[in-house]
Amino acid sequence: MKSSFDKIYDALRSVKLAVVLLILLALFAIAGGIIPQGKPADFYRGRFPGAGADIILTLDLDHVFSSIPFLLVSAVFVLNLTICTFHRLTGEFSKPRGKRRHGPDLLHLGLIVLMFGGVLTARTHTETTINLRKGESATLPDGAKIMLVDMTYEQYPDGRPKTWESTVEIHESPSQASAAVAVQQDTRQFRIRVNAPLRRKGYSIYQQHWHTEKQVVLKDPVGMGFSLEQGMRAATKDGFVLFMALDDASFSPLEGSAQANISISETSSADYPQSAVFLLEDKGKRTVVRVTPGQSIGPFTFDSYLDQSISGLSIVSDRGYPFVVVGFLLVMLGIFITYIQKLKGVFA
Amino acid sequence: MIATMAFGLLILSLIVQIVYLFKKADKQERVSPWLSLVAGGLLLVEIVRRSIAIRFVALTGIFESLIFLACAMAFLIFALRHFKSTKDNKVIPFGASIIALIFLALASSPLAPSDVKPPVPALQSGWLVLHVSFTFIGEVFFAVGFVSAILQLTTKSEEKRRNYDRVTYTSIAVGYPIFTAGALIFGAIWAEKAWGVWWSWDPKETWALITWLTYTAYLHFRLVRKSTSRLVPALVIIGFAIAMFTFLGVNFLIKGLHSYA
Ligand code: HEM
Repeated sequence: MKSSFDKIYDALRSVKLAVVLLILLALFAIAGGIIPQGKPADFYRGRFPGAGADIILTLDLDHVFSSIPFLLVSAVFVLNLTICTFHRLTGEFSKPRGKRRHGPDLLHLGLIVLMFGGVLTARTHTETTINLRKGESATLPDGAKIMLVDMTYEQYPDGRPKTWESTVEIHESPSQASAAVAVQQDTRQFRIRVNAPLRRKGYSIYQQHWHTEKQVVLKDPVGMGFSLEQGMRAATKDGFVLFMALDDASFSPLEGSAQANISISETSSADYPQSAVFLLEDKGKRTVVRVTPGQSIGPFTFDSYLDQSISGLSIVSDRGYPFVVVGFLLVMLGIFITYIQKLKGVFA
Repeated sequence: MIATMAFGLLILSLIVQIVYLFKKADKQERVSPWLSLVAGGLLLVEIVRRSIAIRFVALTGIFESLIFLACAMAFLIFALRHFKSTKDNKVIPFGASIIALIFLALASSPLAPSDVKPPVPALQSGWLVLHVSFTFIGEVFFAVGFVSAILQLTTKSEEKRRNYDRVTYTSIAVGYPIFTAGALIFGAIWAEKAWGVWWSWDPKETWALITWLTYTAYLHFRLVRKSTSRLVPALVIIGFAIAMFTFLGVNFLIKGLHSYA
């Protein structure tokens, strides 16, 4: 007579339960693969009129993969897999050496490690984006400093991107580099490209995007030019000049007036907005002025526009990924051992 | 041009096979596997030609994917004649030839623009090449399993059914490790290198997982079910349908990170 504990144990390690759970997980995934995930409630009301949206929202189908039912089934699946793996593993060990088949064990064990890594990733994955212009720097999670030395953006003749690459300089923080190294050399250059992140202890840095920002070039009374990014000011004798914004309203074809139509034809020839808006402070008196290249603002002359490249780098930390990699290796090894042993002779 | 020649050869091979299917003779014709082999060779030449033009493995668009699938399928059709369990079977290579032909027909449709385009930065990765090629090679074996599973479900003879079951299982047993490595493992490694996340539940990933879960369910179901069960081969048929939806349907119906390939 089996005890109820044995019955539960047998049920939990059964392959039949595994098949049921696999199919259930597939059905969850189908729901998540068809219904767009993580959108606001109004999106579903618009897309699935009537009861459809209510069903989706009540059953949490708008975020299937973090919903309680999905996580519950996954948890039972992991339990099933774990019990089944160790049961089978001990069974194999009681066989004579030559008869043991450890492929499926290795594979199942790899899956457990993989899922552990997955949970860890879900809980610890962080991503921060920093935007750097040439010469700018930022502080990394370990206290080191990163500075953008250079960036290249190449295009194919048809305009699609070919390479995005940032050259960065990293100054180790004194606590990171040992004293001796710190004296000799604590600054090194690296190149970061899409598909070639910079790996550091505990995090990686990715080339995530690239964009340009329009700055204005002003000339001082002597004729020396300098650039100003939006929101920045240049000091004058009696105050400052602040670059507030590009006046690109005339740029937009959505302005349904005839005036807008005229300015579209004007701006399309030159790729720049017509004017820029500045805040001018002179002896405590503030005025907002709108100027076009060639005109003056306070002591300066508005010379031209400048395209400044900005490199978007993302700093990613994921403590689960090392486990995932180990899981992958075990799964690959186990799966190939399993089938090489099984298929021996089939191709003879 | 080269792809059109391969298309012609595959049609020819299909015609030869149809003629022999209706002949009662037990003997297999010897011509069609060779036609298939040459067609596969031509498609390989086309892949190499495009790769040289873009200085990268030409496996990044839908057209190139279809050509690669048809190429791998054509080679497998030739190889089927050398495996014990498919040697004397006429219907499995025939079904597989139809699938190869469908891939090529889709490649020439307007859905798959054939202009030669070098890859954008995210696609310039050795992992991507491994990811795509392994996935498709796995799927080509799934295609043979699909044909065999249909036959397994439709045949009346018990002996034939057992034979087809062996072919179905063998195809999946070869394709599954390759597909797992390609679609899930290499795919995840590539995503981590390119974007910093190895899994993000985007529709293509999710559907690849559904495909894999379906074949995993098949392999386990077969362990516990009797060989007469109809549900077991049905999972292989469903699995291939899902694999093809993952490849084509997701691109055209659902948008995600993968919308370029
Ligand atoms: C995603 C999860 C899983 C994957 C990818 C997986 C994969 C595999 C594969 C590829 C095989 C070889 C099948 C064959 O002989 O053709 C196998 C065998 C097996 N699996 Fe799993 N499995 C999974 C989950 C489970 C679970 C949850 C159980 C628990 C009941 C289980 C129990 C078994 C057993 C008992 C075998 C037979 C091993 C043998 O041949 O002695 N599997 N598994």
